[in-house]
This record gives sequence, structure tokens and C-alpha cells, in this order.
Amino acid sequence: MKLRTFGSVFALGLGLTAGAAMAEYPERPINMIIPYGAGGATDISARTIAEPLGNAVGEALVMANVTGAGGATGSVAVQNAKADGYTMLFARVGSHSVNPAMKATLPYTLDDFRFVTVYEINPVACAVRPDAGIDSMEDLIAKVNEGGVSYSSSGVGSLLHLAGAMVLKEFGVEDPLTQATHIPQKGGGAAATAVLNGTATFLCTNSSALASFVSNNQLKPLMVTTAEPVVGFDVPTANDLGKPALNQLVGWTGIAGPDGLPDDVAEKWGTWMAAATEDATFRETMEARGSVIELMDPEAANAFIQGQYEVFRALVDDLGMRIEG
Amino acid sequence: MSLMDSLAAGFALVGNVEAFFMLFCGLVIGVIGGAIPGLSATMAVALTLPFTFSMAPINGILLLLGVYKGGIFGGSIPAILIKTPGTPASSATILDGYPMAERGEAGRALGMALYASCTADAVSNLALILFAGWLASFALNFGPPEFFALILFSLTIIAGVSGESLLRGALSALAGLLLATIGLDLVYGTNRFTFGDPNMMGGLNFIAVLIGLFAIPEIIAMAWNPVAHLGKTRALGKSKVTLADYIGSFKSILRGSMIGVFLGSIPGIGAAPSAFLSYSEARRTSKNKDNFGKGEIEGVAASEAGNNGVAGATLIPLLALGVPGDVITAIIIGAFMVHGLQPGPMMFILNVDIIYGLFIGLIVSSVFLLIVGSVAIRGFRFVADVPKRLLMPAVLVLCIYGVFAVNNNIFDVGVMFAMGWVGYLMMRHRIPAAPFLIAFILGPLLEDNFRQSMLMSGSDPSILMRGPITWFFWTLTFITVFAITRSTLRKRVPLS
Repeated sequence: MKLRTFGSVFALGLGLTAGAAMAEYPERPINMIIPYGAGGATDISARTIAEPLGNAVGEALVMANVTGAGGATGSVAVQNAKADGYTMLFARVGSHSVNPAMKATLPYTLDDFRFVTVYEINPVACAVRPDAGIDSMEDLIAKVNEGGVSYSSSGVGSLLHLAGAMVLKEFGVEDPLTQATHIPQKGGGAAATAVLNGTATFLCTNSSALASFVSNNQLKPLMVTTAEPVVGFDVPTANDLGKPALNQLVGWTGIAGPDGLPDDVAEKWGTWMAAATEDATFRETMEARGSVIELMDPEAANAFIQGQYEVFRALVDDLGMRIEG
Repeated sequence: MSLMDSLAAGFALVGNVEAFFMLFCGLVIGVIGGAIPGLSATMAVALTLPFTFSMAPINGILLLLGVYKGGIFGGSIPAILIKTPGTPASSATILDGYPMAERGEAGRALGMALYASCTADAVSNLALILFAGWLASFALNFGPPEFFALILFSLTIIAGVSGESLLRGALSALAGLLLATIGLDLVYGTNRFTFGDPNMMGGLNFIAVLIGLFAIPEIIAMAWNPVAHLGKTRALGKSKVTLADYIGSFKSILRGSMIGVFLGSIPGIGAAPSAFLSYSEARRTSKNKDNFGKGEIEGVAASEAGNNGVAGATLIPLLALGVPGDVITAIIIGAFMVHGLQPGPMMFILNVDIIYGLFIGLIVSSVFLLIVGSVAIRGFRFVADVPKRLLMPAVLVLCIYGVFAVNNNIFDVGVMFAMGWVGYLMMRHRIPAAPFLIAFILGPLLEDNFRQSMLMSGSDPSILMRGPITWFFWTLTFITVFAITRSTLRKRVPLS
């Protein structure tokens, strides 16, 4: 306590001499909330950018995992925080476009947040077991029409859940919810295991989550949803298959603050992120993991997320996937 | 590459002071982290993960494995000394460890915990090295129906830890099952019993429930009647484990290790059910059966063997299949990813040096654990000598701090206190807490796997009997239920 009092007196003195400089954001460490568990895609991404970002910010970034309910617990913590830029969130596709589109009773909406950046895009790939007798999307759709096809996900309201339905729909399956069975699992690892052990037929998830299974020949990829091919995935892109609408189906990681974040704070994050993503080691490690570094400024990020949300929302309403309870 | 070449490559990789130093550091961090109530092994691994990003891959992974193994053992220290499991896996250790400490045999219980842990650890590591491929392909046969049958069988553990009254045990288990339903429904994604509070959407935090159930009631009892313990002697914890103790419990340790290896190699179960299963098996077959729950050293040995037996085996699905075996290995897999390593069958070809380096490190870790553990016990056992009126407030502070730190959420602290009062009422009415905990862990697994099976089969229940593995567990379940019923009737144990 004594130290803190001393610190504030000192800071006050400093502020008196420095005048306007005291109001300069940031003047103390920034809390960064990761709404998913340690070791997961969001956590690793967040901790990789933490170092170059911390250098750009000039203040310490305090990273904290607040997990639960598919990212909702951590998101709510930031939603309720003061919009002063000292509590920020690592937002993810699941927590900030799929879940809001699907779950009616989610305690937050996109309007409760102000996105300051999206810095990473993860292509989505669909995969099956190599011995399933499915060699292409065409085979998969034929199987779906025969019946008995299922897909796994990391839970209801996850990207994987929506991706499975969206891909089938795009490929002409009339009613993916009844023609294929969704078997939710707890977490991405369990979702992949379910396909490995034959519980489910296929899954569509971030290519980075599938990369090790593909290079180990445990899973066979069928397509990727991006326009550009993905390294390590020797399969057609969505555009090759004539389904450019699937380009919207990508994972991403961004940073958001509570709604009402001042403009100058958002602007600062824009410049910091521009500096942080220039870092060579950051780019190298992220790209080695199959991520595409694509920096969006605050406006572009908001537009991108809103756009993706709307596509997902339309699909959810169309298929009747909305969770009302 | 021949075995010798692979071994040589592995040695070349770990054959430096740094790798072993990291492993040793990891064990120290793990034992201390595990020993702080609330700061579980999972937390300790999660906190260490970011530091490994800048290390050489093998050093980073060995550091994390050290923390993992150290943490699982370290959790038994507060479990024995202050009736607070440092990590969920050591909840079973409380059952007999704490009564032993009350009798003034803290040193003996801690020593046994250490020897059982190290033995099980070594067995588990050997199983990983020798049978990884075989066990992994066996584990892949476990779909939701097989899981359901296994979990159903595991619920029979409740009978083994109910103590004097089966009915009270069942009541406790029912309460656990009920509280486990809070959160999001797995299949529909709807809110269950959340009362509109976003904090409840993720379900009740496991650590908060655990600490609330075991540690807080002791503190409440202490506050209620601060002088109750003064007459009783809680002698110095200077007693030591003997070779005879170890030999007497060896069968249980070995059985516990096997149970740990088996349950560890199947992704998704974890160390706590394994410890309880090992404990209840030891109780069932022991000649000191009646002494279990009152401070039987064999119970401590079985629990600790059960949870440490998991620690090497969870790496089997990780290395052989690329899927995490439990919560902790899910974090460790992150360290592999950060370094661009892709765990799975190909890793045994592409990164054979790392695989063998890990194997060598794991074997050494059992020995290191023995060293670090002995020192830790020497330091920690005198906690038993601290007067209770000084110890308990300190424990309370640690609990609050630990439970908050799990998820940086003050709501969890509230859950801990609420569960503390539940636990206190249960204690006053002689309702055992262990069945509650088992049901709280296994309930969601049972439900999820049942519903996944039904989704797979289109609601045809015959899928639950789809193969030899399910038959095996159904048979075991029936035999166990029959045996429990018969012995209950024969002994004429009063129902309430």
C-alpha cells in the first residue's frame, strides 16, 4: 500500500510538471482478456502478438484467460468494463460472429463492442477419414443424400457447427440439419478425435487445427474455403469448386474494447497494430502455423465482422438454427 | 534409423545441462504450484506455457511436463495436511490422507504419497514408451457408447467412497449430478439453470466447487468453535513411511498405476476419476477394508498411484494421435504447435530425436520427482505443526486467491463460499463429500456421451451395446452392483 501511495504521489508530481502529457493513453498497464483456454488457437495467437504489441504500446499488457460458455464469459467481462481502453478483449470468430448469430439469449451483441483491429485470418478446411471412401466434396454430398452422414463440432454455436451446415447448404443440400447429423463435442480436440474414431463423418474447421492430422495422413482434406490455396492442403479452393460465397467462412482473431471506446484510443490501437504486425518473427511464427496475417484498421474490422455476422445470421435464419433458450 | 541411432539422437538433444535443468525447474514449479490450494496443476502449466515460447522445443516441453508431473504430486500435500486438494486429481487422497495427518502421521502419509506417485509415474512412462502405439489404437475404439459404458461403471465408485451409509453417499451423489447440469446444454446449446446470469453459462467452476466442498467447511467449523481442537493432540508430523508400508501397499500401487495408464490413454477422462477408481478398487480387495476412510495408508497409496499413473499415459494420445488426453495435455499441445511440431504418427518419423529426447526426459523425471518431492515433504510437513488457529485463516486467504486466479472471476469466489456452506451442512449431517465430487465430474461425461450416442444412432439404444468393449463394462457394472447389493444386505448396514 505504502509503495502505491508513494507511486501515486510521484505520478502526481510528474503529472504537474508534464502537464497535458499525463492524459496520454496509455499511462498504466492494459488488461487483455483472452476468452478461451490456454493452449488453444486464440490463446496462442494472443500470446504471440503480445510481445511485438507490448513493444509498440510501451506499457505492459496483462494477459488473462477468462474462459467458459464458448467465449461468452470473457466477452461479458469486457462488455461490462469501463470503456477507457484499459480492458480489451481478444475477439474470435466463434465468440463474435457465429455465437451472436446463433444464440438469441447471448448476454451481448456486436453493438456492445468496438473492434479496433482484426489481424489474423484462418482459412477453413473440411476433412474426412482417409478410409471413409470419400475423395471429394462431390462424394461427400452424394453420401449425404444417401443418409447417415454426421459432422462433429467443438460445441453448439461454434464456427465448426455453422461451417458444417453452411458448406453442405452451399453444395446444394436442401436441409443440412435433417439430412446430416450434427454431433457436438466439447472442444476442438474432441471434435477432431470424433472424426478420427469414426463417431462423425467429417468436420470443417480452421486449417491450422487440421494441419497436423493432414500431414500425418490421419485425416484427408476435401476443400478449403479461401480463394487462395492453403500450404499443406493439396485440395481445391472454394472458388475452384465454384462456391465463392464460402470465402466468408473463415476464422479470425481481432481486438475489441467495450462500446463507447473513445476515437483516439481506437486510432492508437490502429497504429500499434500496424507496428506490431510488421514484426518479422511474429509473421514467421504465425504463418508457419497456417494463419494469414491481414491487418484491418478499426473501420475495416468493424465492417468485416458485421459483414460476416450478417451472412451467418441469414444462414441461421434460413435453416432455423437459432437457439432461443 | 535403428533404435540405437534414435536413442543417440535423443541423447544428443537432451544431453545438455539446460534440458535437465528445465525439467528440474518444472518439477519444482509444479510441486509448489500444486501445493498451493486452488492453484491447480492445470493453472501451473497454463502459467508456464508462455515462457516456453522462446525456448528450444525440447526444453520447453520438458519444462511443461515437469510442471505437470510435479503438480499432480504436489496436490497431495495440502490434501493430506489441510484437507484441501491442491489439484482436483488429489481429492481422493484426502479420504485417508487427512485422517492420518489428524493422527499425527502426516510425514508417513506424505512419504507414501511420494513413493506411490513416483512408482506410478515410472510405470506410466514405461507404458508410454513401450506400448504407445498399441494403447493409442485401442483408445481410438472408444466412441461415445464405449465411453458411456465406462463412465457408468465408474459411477459404482460412489459405493466405495460413501463411508458408513450408502444412502447418504447416494444423496450426496445426486446433489453432485444436479449441480453439474448447470451451464449450456451440449446438444441444443440452450441455457440450463443459469437464472439469466452470464457467469453461470459456463457452469460452476470445478476448482471453486472442489475447494468449497473440502476446505471451506473446515474453516467454518473452526470459526464456529475455535477451541474445539485444543483438547485433541495433533502431534508433530515427524513420522516416516517404512519399507514395510510400501511393500504392504505395493499391489494397490501397481493396480492404481495400471488403472491410471488405462484411463490416461483414453482421451477425455483425466486424473481425478482414475484416482477414485484406484482407491475404490484398493478398498474392495484390501484386507484392511474397514479401515479405509479412517486413515489407511494403502488408501493414500492407491489414490496417488491412480492419479500419477495418468500423467505419462495422457501423452499417449498426444504423441501417437495428436489429440490431447486431458485438460493439461491440451495446454501442452499448444507448446508443440508454437514450435511447429505436429504430434501424431509422423512425428515418430520426422522428429524422432524429439520423441526419444522426451522419453529420456520422462524416465529421468521420475527420479527427479523423488528428489524434489522428498525436499518438499521435508519443508511442508511441518505445516501440520502450525497451530490450527493460525493455519486456517492463512488457508482461507490462499483459497480465495487461488479460486479467483483460475478464471480471474470474482463470481467463482462466491461459488466457493456457497459451496462451503453446502459442504459444512453436509459435514454436520455426516453426508460424505467424495460422492458429490465424483458425480460432479462424471455426470456431464455420462450425459454427453449418452446423448452423442443417441445422435449417432438416431435414438436407437442398442448402440450402447455395440461391441466387446461396451459388453465388458456392462458386465463389470452388473457384477459390481450385484456385489454391492449383496454385501450391503449381508452386513445389514443400516440404510440411514
